[in-house]
Amino acid sequence: MREPSQRISRRALTLWRIYGYINTGIVGVIAIAIIILTNLYSWPLWPSFVIGVLFVLEIIFSIWLIPSIKWDRLRYEVRDQEIEYQYGLFIVKRILVPMVRVQHVDTEQGPLLRKYRLATISISTAATVHKIPALDEREAEGLRNTISSLARVAEDDV
Amino acid sequence: MMFEPQRLHPVSAVLNFVKGLKDAIFPIIAIFFLNGNQVEGFLNWLPLILSASFLVLILIAGIVKWLRFTYRVQEGELRIEYGLIFRKKRYIPMDRIQSLNFSEGVLHRPFQLVKVSIETAGSPGSQEAEAELTAIKRSEAKRLEEIIYHGKQERSFVEEQTEEQGMDSDRMLVYGMTMKDLVLMALTSGGAGVVISGVAVFFSQIIEFLPVGTIYEEVLDWLQIGVLIVGLTALLILLLAYGISVILTVLRFGKFSVFIEGEDLIITRGLLEKKQITIPLNRIQGIRVDENMIRQPLGFATISIISAGGSIKGDAEQQFKVLPLIKRSQIKGVMESILPQYDLDVSLKRPPKRARIRYLVRCVLFPAVLAIAASVFFWPVGLVSLLIVPIFIGLGVLNHRDAGWNVRDKQLTLSYRFMTKQTYVMKKHRIQSSQCSQSILQKRARLSSVEVTLKTGVGKARAHCHHLENEDIEQIMDWFKHENIG
Repeated sequence: MREPSQRISRRALTLWRIYGYINTGIVGVIAIAIIILTNLYSWPLWPSFVIGVLFVLEIIFSIWLIPSIKWDRLRYEVRDQEIEYQYGLFIVKRILVPMVRVQHVDTEQGPLLRKYRLATISISTAATVHKIPALDEREAEGLRNTISSLARVAEDDV
Repeated sequence: MMFEPQRLHPVSAVLNFVKGLKDAIFPIIAIFFLNGNQVEGFLNWLPLILSASFLVLILIAGIVKWLRFTYRVQEGELRIEYGLIFRKKRYIPMDRIQSLNFSEGVLHRPFQLVKVSIETAGSPGSQEAEAELTAIKRSEAKRLEEIIYHGKQERSFVEEQTEEQGMDSDRMLVYGMTMKDLVLMALTSGGAGVVISGVAVFFSQIIEFLPVGTIYEEVLDWLQIGVLIVGLTALLILLLAYGISVILTVLRFGKFSVFIEGEDLIITRGLLEKKQITIPLNRIQGIRVDENMIRQPLGFATISIISAGGSIKGDAEQQFKVLPLIKRSQIKGVMESILPQYDLDVSLKRPPKRARIRYLVRCVLFPAVLAIAASVFFWPVGLVSLLIVPIFIGLGVLNHRDAGWNVRDKQLTLSYRFMTKQTYVMKKHRIQSSQCSQSILQKRARLSSVEVTLKTGVGKARAHCHHLENEDIEQIMDWFKHENIG
């Protein structure tokens, strides 16, 4: 199968890495707390080991591996008649939404997303909502306008 | 006449009262039995007085509710106004009404009344845009129906005379259930499985207790009798519950008939409480055929219609069972008269042989882990639990055998089983979105899965099929793309 042509902004990768750092940071703080408590109250050693392993895994997965796989997999394409996008880590999913089914399109932006000039676009049909995360701001804007103008021609038949 | 505000039938006040009573029954009982101590004189009567005034209050509330409730048809809208302290007005545009359901309770019957529920599509979660007329004359309800369904097309309301004559004349019966069908349906419903497994557990208990040792004979004798009594009672209760469920099914689905009237599908059912559901044919999103483990070998199936209309309340009935029990051989004939554009008689392409192992693993993995754990912890008795593994292997084989797909013209058919075999038949222009997925493991075997989403009243219905050939999935996705159909 031919993959959808568009990729999302490279800056999304940076953003997801930052999320990874934040998560790792939280695990790190817990790890330090546990190690200190273990020393103070002579707790058994295994919790420290577990949290240590978790910490290393967090570094490998949520900072390094997952963002790049996710970015590599995420592709999308907006054509006149349909929107196609693909995502997934271990299970690659590809979704087709016909333009006539689209009810409305939203873009949203959190503080971090705004800093990196990214936006998430969500496409709603009568039954489902589809999100394409971390698109370039202007691209998302453009997409929203194209989709909503294309979708307007659809007849109102649920 | 419909333009003036109309009031519901006075029975409505009684119904309000009954409903209020139902809601308040516990407080009243509580008040009534609260005085544990024997108190002399006036106080003795207090609970009685309290509950009596409570009852009067509910009665008055029921009457006021009825007095305040008016409805009328005006400017293409159904306008309902109600409420004592907060006056509420609800205007429902005719175009938005998805289905009109009639039901007749025991109280409605003597006065020729019906309860009318008006359902709109609404966005999922909006319970609000729905109305209920608790009791109006049947002729009035018919007229309302006429106005709603015919006013839709013509935009101006039909005169009364033409309505009167057009009634019932073009209503065509396409399917009815006999008593035999009903009982068979009740006997083969999911409830039967529960009862059968209950009986099985009961007998396994008896067998376990019978050959047991000699040391504490008296104790055991006593225990055995105890267990027997408990077991027998349990069995009796189960059978009783089963009997009741059969009777309830017969009452609920008695006189089940399906009609076609113009552009609408009408389903009526119920012996005690009569119900009528009207679904415009052009709102139908798809069809689902269910074959459960008991019915399938007997050659029976259930057909449901996936409709976009409806409220949260009707949740369970949202996928209207249009043919609750039908011989597989008859499906074609009946469905052709209801929805001729759907072809339920297609040959499905099966997943490849090499996918079978995936279906097996999917079914067996979890029970096997449980059985092994049981064997380890309850050695050696726990080994018995390993017996479930072949059952699940069998289920896996079935799941593989019953999965399949077909694309023909504008119709997609997807078949899938976990316990009950479900076959979705859908039209391309009704599918909201379609999704294919491939896991890392599937990729090595060149297999993919597909899932398509339909709209229902409360949200979505998903049809899926797993572990098909990559090329097959590609074909389904390509079919769904717009340019390939034109």
